[in-house]
Amino acid sequence: MANYETVFIGRQDLSEAQVKDITDNISKYVTTSKGKVNKTENWGLRTLAYRINKNRKGHYVLVEFSCETDKIAELERQLRLNEDVLRYVTVRLEEFATEQSAILNASSSDDRPHYKKDSGYRPRSNDKDREAA
Amino acid sequence: MAYEKKSFGGPRRKKTCPFTGPNAQTIDWKNVNMLGRYVSGSGKIAAARMNAIKPAKQRELTRAIKRARFMALMPFVREDA
Repeated sequence: MANYETVFIGRQDLSEAQVKDITDNISKYVTTSKGKVNKTENWGLRTLAYRINKNRKGHYVLVEFSCETDKIAELERQLRLNEDVLRYVTVRLEEFATEQSAILNASSSDDRPHYKKDSGYRPRSNDKDREAA
Repeated sequence: MAYEKKSFGGPRRKKTCPFTGPNAQTIDWKNVNMLGRYVSGSGKIAAARMNAIKPAKQRELTRAIKRARFMALMPFVREDA
């Protein structure tokens, strides 16, 4: 048994119930193949960084689970066949995260840029590199 | 009339890898705020020497950024910057 996390993006015009259906299907598949779901996180409807199949937004869901390695291929096949799923990614984890994903508390993050939003100041392209230094 | 040496605000501190040592950050492809610090304004991945990142960590970071791009959390290119 190994630990995995799967994140998928659902089409923007799905309802919350439909998103939950896909999530439940994943959980069901994991449990029926003798795995265990650790947690699921619904990140909600987020704006995509670029358009995917004419979608500007997408429903993001994260599922953490542990199961046998050979069960992943079938799980991914099902996601691939589902036309409501724009993208998915499965990553093997050393261990499950103890806290919720950073993306959920991104707005309350303390590493915001040093300039005010409406000050008219535009950072130069290499400003970010300097900040990181 | 002493010749004044130009000062640059004291000695420059040597940069250290932010992903190694006691208060190292963890590299997570879902942490877009953290990853955003290691790409340029247009979205290119910064060279390892810019932030003195250890080679192994730079490979990890690169993989994380590419994963975030694939999942549309980060842009491949940002043209409006």
